Amino acid sequence: MSLKKFSELFGDLDSINSTNNKIEVLKNYFLSNDPIDNSWAIYLLTGKSNKRFISGRYLKNLFSQIYEYPQWLIDICYLKVGDSAEVITLLLKNKTNSRKKKLSNISLNELLSETIPALSKLNEEEKNLEIKNLWETLPEDNHLIFNKILTGTFRVGVSIGLITKSISKLINIEEEIISHRLMGDFKPSIDSYEFLINKNINLQELNSKPFPFLLANTIEDKIFKNSINDFQFEWKYDGIRMQLIKRSGNVSLWTRGQELVNESFPELVEKMSHIKDDFVLDGELLVWNFKEQIAFDFSLLQKRINRKSPTRSIQIKYPIIFIAYDLLEINGRDIREIKLENRRIELEKYFSKWQIKTENNISDIFKICDLIFPKDWPDALTYKEKSRENNTEGLIIKKKTSIYSSGRKKGIWWKYKVDPMQLDAVLIYAKGGSGRRAGLYTDYSFALWRNKELIKFASAYSGLTNIEIKELDKWIRKNTIEKFGPVRSLKPEMVFEISFEKIQISKRHKSGIAVRFPRITKWRKDKKINDADSLENAYELMKKKS
Amino acid sequence: MRTKQEYLIRYREGNLYCELADIWIDPSKPVKKALITHAHFDHFTFGCEEYISTKETAILLKERFGANIKIKTFEYGEEFKINGINISFHPSGHILGSSQIRFIFAEEKWLISGDFKLQKDQTCKQYEIVKTDYLISECTFGLPIFKWDESNKIANDISKWIINSPEKTSLLFCYSLGKAQRLLNEISQTNFKGNIYSHGSIHKMNNSYRELGIDIKDTIKIENKKKIDELKGSLILLPPSLSKGSYLKNFKNIQTAFASGWMSIRALRKRSGYDKGFAISDHADWDGILEVVKKSEAKNVFFHHGDSEALSKYLVEKESINVLLFGK
Repeated sequence: MSLKKFSELFGDLDSINSTNNKIEVLKNYFLSNDPIDNSWAIYLLTGKSNKRFISGRYLKNLFSQIYEYPQWLIDICYLKVGDSAEVITLLLKNKTNSRKKKLSNISLNELLSETIPALSKLNEEEKNLEIKNLWETLPEDNHLIFNKILTGTFRVGVSIGLITKSISKLINIEEEIISHRLMGDFKPSIDSYEFLINKNINLQELNSKPFPFLLANTIEDKIFKNSINDFQFEWKYDGIRMQLIKRSGNVSLWTRGQELVNESFPELVEKMSHIKDDFVLDGELLVWNFKEQIAFDFSLLQKRINRKSPTRSIQIKYPIIFIAYDLLEINGRDIREIKLENRRIELEKYFSKWQIKTENNISDIFKICDLIFPKDWPDALTYKEKSRENNTEGLIIKKKTSIYSSGRKKGIWWKYKVDPMQLDAVLIYAKGGSGRRAGLYTDYSFALWRNKELIKFASAYSGLTNIEIKELDKWIRKNTIEKFGPVRSLKPEMVFEISFEKIQISKRHKSGIAVRFPRITKWRKDKKINDADSLENAYELMKKKS
Repeated sequence: MRTKQEYLIRYREGNLYCELADIWIDPSKPVKKALITHAHFDHFTFGCEEYISTKETAILLKERFGANIKIKTFEYGEEFKINGINISFHPSGHILGSSQIRFIFAEEKWLISGDFKLQKDQTCKQYEIVKTDYLISECTFGLPIFKWDESNKIANDISKWIINSPEKTSLLFCYSLGKAQRLLNEISQTNFKGNIYSHGSIHKMNNSYRELGIDIKDTIKIENKKKIDELKGSLILLPPSLSKGSYLKNFKNIQTAFASGWMSIRALRKRSGYDKGFAISDHADWDGILEVVKKSEAKNVFFHHGDSEALSKYLVEKESINVLLFGK
């Protein structure tokens, strides 16, 4: 029932590596503590609050002042420990052998709902005295937690998912429901904990809460084995992920960090409230360049995030848009269990209806995301490379048959970010293309330096514009050294920036390396062949990535 | 003031050296005469013509490094003379047989602390306060963030750690000489009454301790092919060198911990790769070092083994004690 128990929990979680054991420990903690303390524990463990009552520096200065301890000595210690709350905790071991009666039974609730908030009401001198008093009356085992809460640095290796799992196990209710109950505002109270562990599922009660967000995984190689037609492709925007909710006529904007941000974006709330239907949309909020139809830099969005009730001029200066990419609920009907491709149909259907039927034009603040339709995986890569041009981070690839589950589930959504490895290489061979590219030299081989020799390291055929292909074709015909059937060897003169995803040792190639998905990202007309990279540079990349 | 060369004991080639007696203290390379403070690997090197130590240290050294090394032994407090310098060993409380070494020459006293601790340890003699003019002290844990808990508290934590995971085999990594025996002694006084196994290197040292009259709980020497069920719920003591390699594959369903003073820092604990860290050390903590410096009544202090920047500055500023630097 006490802070002591929570300190023990922290120590246990901190020293257990196995997920299952952590879940077990959490379960036992919840079973053996009061609802109110449990609710505070969840509040702390899920990082719902990181309010900083005093800064780390303040804490160190205070200790130095109270115990007449040289500041430089604390600083040297800090270098070794790297955390103000912990340094002071360790130093307090030397200091608090006072005979004061220990506050050994203070509850987590009392500490967090009374003792610590009360500090903010004191003047500096009183506050310092009270912290000193707490240091001297709290049992030593609780100092770390206390100092961490004070400085807003309480963190432990426990994810929301883990908390969700342990509560789910505790009461035998699906994780999805628990996860949903944990969404949004969580005010520590007996009620909020009882709501969390209620065995009766009442969907009505969840009405005010956003759904747990579905998150994308980093792309894995195995996806390329699937047919491109199995997936829906979208640009990956660099904005604020959000659920835009309208239920019983009320609009609310929930970020992925589970903050309600209606006040920061009143114009969106206002516009959306004119729509007749109720809905839950998953999407991205951006500051939008309406002229070029691309996102402005994230830095502009930052000017809106923390500003509540922005003035009209701010709203004009930093115009926002909500780009919806999924429809999760429509007029009270939860449609997360239908396939993505069908949800998309619904989304498009309602979007066109809203565009026509809403009194105020919504298209200056709301749209649905455009889809991309690559023909094959290399084509998808080409799109990804272009994402820099439209200020996106790459692609989001979604399985068309997937349902909207919660968390970072594998095999549903992938993010394919633009961050390739690159080398500048010399064009040494060209081969005639096929299909649409027939008659043109469109398949190229590139080489890197090994001492004074150019060694072939990769072939690529995508990435140049049609105009560039024609221009290069002309040059190839004029600068051929030898013809071997469809292949021409070329005068080494042209340098290209080659991007690729993976680099590894290969005995099959003369260069000794193989790269995955090589493609041309730039024609480096500004570079001479002596400026091209060497194989050594390639080996270095390999080392860096491994 | 004297120059560095005129000190009775100085640093030479990275080692403590007394020129008047032509004798080295814990040298790291072969020399003619070596005084050995204790039997840890990093304080001993092969190939010296003659070693001088306490009786216990000599026995442990021979057990570890072979019976044919030539060691002259003296009792604690027994004075012997080399080139007119009076030399004596005094208990340093680090491990069994460990000693401080005092030199007296022309009424000037020098004390080399050796590795030491003040904390209670039932497996070796308690640190003896020795008065001196010059003190050469180790400062492995020379920061005030180091403050050791009572060893029985740590032992209880260890016991709880094992008892709370009855399905697991608990591997506790610790130095095979000194720390292991101290832990065994402490753990046998806790609630944990299960089997304790120890690695061959530790088992050997346990036997030596027992032969020297120290009461150490009997442990089972761990065999590689032990049945997993048999090890469930038991404690296994292993040297830290085995924590990284394939040795751990011999066990299933384990939890690991490291017993070392460094484990008091969370970041080091996390980085160590062990599940848990128990902060217990055979070196002095900050308060311990300060206490020795003060009680020795030394006017001049040198530090070695560790980062002495904070400690030196603190003594000069707060205690007005003259801290000197060795020319290395």
